Amino acid sequence: MPWLYLHFRHLLLDHIARAREAGAPMAVLCHGSRRVLQACPLAVDLGIRPGTALKTALNLAPELVMVHADDDRQARILEQQAHWLYRYMDRISLYPPDGLLADAGSVRRLYGGLQPLRETLHKALGERQLNATLTTGPTPLAARLLARTGLDCFTESPEDMSAHLAALPLHAVELDERTLQRLTRLGLTTLGELQQLPATELARRLAPETLVHIQRILGQRPDPQTSWQPPHDFRQRADFGLPVEKSQGLLFALQRTLADLESDLQWRQQDTDSLLLIMHHYHQDPSHLRVRTTGPEHRAEAFLNLLRIRLELHPLQAPVEALELQVTRFLDRHVATSTDLLGETPDTGEAWHALVSRLQARLGEQALKHLAPAADHRPERAWSARSLARQVRNQTPDNLPLRPLWLLPHPAPLSVAPEEWLGGPERISGGWWDGERVLRDYYIARLPEGQLAWIYRDNHQGWFVHGWFG
Amino acid sequence: MTCKTMSYAELHCFSNFTFLTGASHPHELAGQALANGYRALAITDACSVAGIPRAWQALRDSDVALITGSYFKLEPTTPNAPGLRLILLACTRQGYGQLCQLITLGRRRAPKGQYQLFPEDLDTQPLEDCLCLWLPPSPHEVGFTGARQSGQWLRDRFPHRFWLAASRTLESGEEQHLHRIRTLARQLERPVVATGHVHMHNRQRQPLQDVLTAIRHNTSLEQAGHRLFQNGERYLRPLPVIKRLFPVEWINETVAIAERCTFRPGELRYEYPGDLVPPGQTPAGWLEVLTRQGEQHRFPEGTPPPIQALIRKELDLIHEMEYEHYFLTIHDIVSFARHQGILCQGRGSAANSAVCYCLGITEVDPRQIELLFERFISKDRDEPPDIDVDFEHERREEVIQYIYQRYGRERAALAATVIRYRPRSAIRDVGKALGFDPAQVEQLLNGIDWRDRETDWRGQILDKGLTRHKRVANQFFTLVNTLLGFPRHLSQHVGGFVISSGPLSQLVPTENAAMADRTVIQWDKDDLESLGLMKVDVLALGMLTAIRKSLGLISETKGEPFTLQDVPREDKATYDMLTTGDSIGVFQVESRAQINMLPRLRPEKFYDLVIEVAIVRPGPIQGDMVHPYLKRKHGLEAVTYPNEEVRGVLERTLGVPIFQEQVIKLAMVAAGFTAGEADQLRRAMAAWKSHGDLTVFREKLIRGMRERGHSEDFAERLYHQICGFGGYGFPESHAASFALLVYVSAWIKRHHPAAFYCGLLNSQPMGFYSPSQLIQDARRHDVSVLPVDVNHSHWDYTLEDPGHLRVGLRQIRGLSRQGAEALCQQRPPGGYTSVQQLRQRTGLLQRDLELLAGANALEAISGHRHQSYWELLGHEEAAPLWVSEHRDDQGYIPESDKVSLPAPSEGQNVLADYASQGLTLQRHPLALLREQGHLRNCLNAQQLKTAEPNRPVQVAGLVTGRQRPGSASGVTFVTLEDEFGNINVVVWLNTARQQRKPLLTSRLLHVKGIVEREGDIVHIMAGKLTDLSHLIQTLPVPSRDFQ
Repeated sequence: MPWLYLHFRHLLLDHIARAREAGAPMAVLCHGSRRVLQACPLAVDLGIRPGTALKTALNLAPELVMVHADDDRQARILEQQAHWLYRYMDRISLYPPDGLLADAGSVRRLYGGLQPLRETLHKALGERQLNATLTTGPTPLAARLLARTGLDCFTESPEDMSAHLAALPLHAVELDERTLQRLTRLGLTTLGELQQLPATELARRLAPETLVHIQRILGQRPDPQTSWQPPHDFRQRADFGLPVEKSQGLLFALQRTLADLESDLQWRQQDTDSLLLIMHHYHQDPSHLRVRTTGPEHRAEAFLNLLRIRLELHPLQAPVEALELQVTRFLDRHVATSTDLLGETPDTGEAWHALVSRLQARLGEQALKHLAPAADHRPERAWSARSLARQVRNQTPDNLPLRPLWLLPHPAPLSVAPEEWLGGPERISGGWWDGERVLRDYYIARLPEGQLAWIYRDNHQGWFVHGWFG
Repeated sequence: MTCKTMSYAELHCFSNFTFLTGASHPHELAGQALANGYRALAITDACSVAGIPRAWQALRDSDVALITGSYFKLEPTTPNAPGLRLILLACTRQGYGQLCQLITLGRRRAPKGQYQLFPEDLDTQPLEDCLCLWLPPSPHEVGFTGARQSGQWLRDRFPHRFWLAASRTLESGEEQHLHRIRTLARQLERPVVATGHVHMHNRQRQPLQDVLTAIRHNTSLEQAGHRLFQNGERYLRPLPVIKRLFPVEWINETVAIAERCTFRPGELRYEYPGDLVPPGQTPAGWLEVLTRQGEQHRFPEGTPPPIQALIRKELDLIHEMEYEHYFLTIHDIVSFARHQGILCQGRGSAANSAVCYCLGITEVDPRQIELLFERFISKDRDEPPDIDVDFEHERREEVIQYIYQRYGRERAALAATVIRYRPRSAIRDVGKALGFDPAQVEQLLNGIDWRDRETDWRGQILDKGLTRHKRVANQFFTLVNTLLGFPRHLSQHVGGFVISSGPLSQLVPTENAAMADRTVIQWDKDDLESLGLMKVDVLALGMLTAIRKSLGLISETKGEPFTLQDVPREDKATYDMLTTGDSIGVFQVESRAQINMLPRLRPEKFYDLVIEVAIVRPGPIQGDMVHPYLKRKHGLEAVTYPNEEVRGVLERTLGVPIFQEQVIKLAMVAAGFTAGEADQLRRAMAAWKSHGDLTVFREKLIRGMRERGHSEDFAERLYHQICGFGGYGFPESHAASFALLVYVSAWIKRHHPAAFYCGLLNSQPMGFYSPSQLIQDARRHDVSVLPVDVNHSHWDYTLEDPGHLRVGLRQIRGLSRQGAEALCQQRPPGGYTSVQQLRQRTGLLQRDLELLAGANALEAISGHRHQSYWELLGHEEAAPLWVSEHRDDQGYIPESDKVSLPAPSEGQNVLADYASQGLTLQRHPLALLREQGHLRNCLNAQQLKTAEPNRPVQVAGLVTGRQRPGSASGVTFVTLEDEFGNINVVVWLNTARQQRKPLLTSRLLHVKGIVEREGDIVHIMAGKLTDLSHLIQTLPVPSRDFQ
């Protein structure tokens, strides 16, 4: 006592807004129902609020940026918030998808009262561009309900808390639909009015779960909380509402993320020497960028410079949907770097893994691939080189077409007339949708010098060798 | 054999009636087969003959023989084996019947849109007159032995009627497959036949076929991978290509097979059910007997000579066209309805004839309106007459059941409606296939102003920039454009019945509809028409229910039966009422646009109502014919005709074309269209919305009219009117039938208002207005409305004493009908005295009791709604959890604990009423707000009637409607409701754009604007809009938005 609750009104949108430089009205959409779930302040100004039909929302803001609801994603983001809150508070509990609860009593002394704590938290929220309602309450549930109404009830006084609670409208008490309907039909509108009715009489009229719920709000029944434990790693993700096409566009979000890393390291009183930047694309495997500093480091600026150089050298493979920064190696400060030359890599598994890691370290993450079939009729697209990180599922179709083992990187013009025709024509026409349309008749033929060639004629009557059979 | 002498018949061809598989329309395939010089074309859709009529229309007069067939994939015998795949072709009419029966069997077994057939079905179903083409499985599907076994099995079922189908798709593995087919053919000792495995009429359709495949698999092209075909070879190939690809024997087999398939859809002769003619009578004689009987009833004082002549003329025409059965069938259905006391009314071509008046099919008196019968049954167009009959919507099911019972389910079925791709669905599906973000596609769709003439949407899309690649954009447009009008699935027609003399399944397959126990045939209305089959439309109309109920109440009041026929004709008071725009609840003329039209048109006689019904429609509005008509009607413009022929067409509408058939007639007399051309125009108009194109007629129309001395302006307007009629065709005969119901409902409203509203409220949901709006209107007409009460209400609304309307229990949301009826039946003479007694006598469920308390229906026996509800809830045992912690209570309630809850305030009552019934008899919320001083300076609806025009005013009201009609570009009409009535607000496009938020989200809206007045019609031209919704936070007010 008291409990402090942070309610993030539109966490997903705040999260995305952080990765964007220019503000735009944004809304989270419910899958399937075409209704708005969350709206950012800009969108609210235009008249969009939770529950607005998508059609109306788009009439109000034709340029609305729409984000699909994703509970897992929001839960991840919520955990990121727990992470920084952990620096200020103790005994944190997660209330997915949008709330954090913390025990304010245990840290009150540390801050010299709740007001200074509140200011600290507001400042921290401001730095992170997060919108949250902060409230205190006598019980975890009370704090949560008050926060979710959006009321400003940040107080230390138990009387004030009780008064706020009494004024709480019943529809904000998180009752089930039927109970709420019953109470409304009784003409009751606030929790206070409910409290004034004789307890036994009320008990006859409400479901046992409802009673437990109300007793928990009022503190008449224990409500144990599970405390969240911070993970050892640092992982942070930035999502873009619209895909970023140039590496320049990543820097803004990167800067933010690295600043968070810096303060995380600061708080841990540790450094790191390796970062893993994962860039997520829409239809492709994510690309990985591993950066090692020359020595232990914690300054965002230093990391940023390194990453900037790396990004300049390696252009993006595809538009980036989200960035993820991972740090799993932490070094205590003031430890001599020379003792850490080879790192404390725990990767001492099989020889294969060792080899792969060595090769990757030597040649770079992207240089190592393995082959896999791809479902496409065009021969040059019927295989793929996948990154090793991705688990390969065995999805080979049982009727793979007859193809030469050696497929040339580029078809070469056929310079001699074949001696013998052994198969064909096999006509392939497809890929019109991605601008790489092919229209070819393939044949298997023996060339005068004895090679077995896979040749084709294209729609301009040109002849090419595309591969060699053994 | 040269190509010239070579013959080929394509025997395996999917049209787009194999939904999301075939990429060409049947008529496109037919056209291509013709152009390629094929001997024959079989349309073989998957377990369906739905594509046949359209292909037949294209090929009936050509040298290409149309073969009816169907493709089947049978259920596998073991889970992992592929099912047998085969094509059955109908040799004869009998074979066609067998095919239909098999399709019906497979379709009826499976949920809507699917089919299920087992190998055993081929044993039990007669298929002697069908040929079988087996599509052997490929080597990677089944081993050779397995393939041979299934081939043998199938061959034994079709002795001498079995072939192995081989196609050349030039895909990988084809050589092995063909090798296998050859071996199988040798071993099975049956010939191989060449087929194209056709999915499209030409190769250019490959992208669309790929898109359809992706849509079918619910994926994008990128992800579709091997589910797409490897190439675009599944098209109707030119003969030289076929010659190059197949051995000549295989080609010759196609022709041999085609020659054995002699059945043509033209052989399908419709036989009218003979049941209705008594033995010893001819159809013509019996129709005449019935007509004469009706005549005596209709004209007890003797038929006037002109009508007698008319009846004779009509009967002769009916006889000449052999339509007697059709009229007899309708008469039979209508008589059934009359005997059951179900109100009905016929409309459509042929319905408003003197014969139909005598037969009781219509109430439109031939003396009242003179419609030319020939216009509805045309001798030139050999197509069946069309009569739609509307029945009371709550009782139409009885009529449907009667038809099933009378003719049996084997002989009667509903027609299908082909649901086709419209712009929205096409854009969504193609967007998905191309991998566009669905949310962005929605954004794009929303940006398109659909009210802009539909033809312009492509231009609008271009500006939105869904993709930056011009190539993708072009593909997108082309694909969407091609996909438009493609059939997506078969649905149930609203009420079109096909009744046949023999078993229907010999005529056309039936399949399951979405609704349980409903089946539809595989053809739609147009298909039936093109095959010359008869259809009877059995439709549902809410207003007929309301009128019947109102007439019943009037009968009760009068103490004698009062029927539709007893409503006095041409009552001045009724027309006077309509002229003031007082028409809420009246059939057809209750919409805002109609209410505004009434005072301008000033109806004085029946025919004015016919025009009133037809004039507020896209056709006349887009043709700009409304103002000229009004001017002429009120004598502000001379009524002139360019020539006598035009006068003949337009005289009844003062020289201004209003009705659809006038426009078509004008195309003939004023633009020189031949009868055939005019008929094409009529069909194109009907089809315009889905896939038609009217531009081809434009030039001909305008040139023709100019040559005949009409002004270009008039010609242009006529063309626009034709476009406006597209899809919403509204012919005079329909308008006349509707006008009758307009008149009758208006008469009841004028002379028996309480019965009028009572009938309407007991027929909900129907019509344009909510019960709340109807009750407000009732009170404005001095009907006193009494609240719902456990001791007075019945399920339905009732009349208590003259002019008192009691709210029915039906108005309480969620209340069970069973509970309500128990309540009424068990009610003691003096009424219930306590909740206890109510509970005991009726055994009402707690849920129903709570709903009654919530509706304040228990006030008389247990106090106000809060207290009643508290008492009701106390009935349940206390939750043990709580009691255990208050142990001293011992379970009894000390007197001091008797709780008395505060009585609801007026505001609380209003909210609770809305929540429970969607309406309140308390004061209107606006009255409360006005009293509380929230709406200072606002005029109410009453004051507005006398407000000075062109002056600034302020108004406020609950938003009950937002509309943006297609005919008024960019204008939004907002309807506000206050305690005195409705206020019409007009918001211009610019104002709307600047104030989107209040316009679109307000539930209570405050408007500053200028009064505009035209006669009795007052509009507010909106300036500043302010959202006041916070004043009515929890009041649920539904608004009809943009429908």
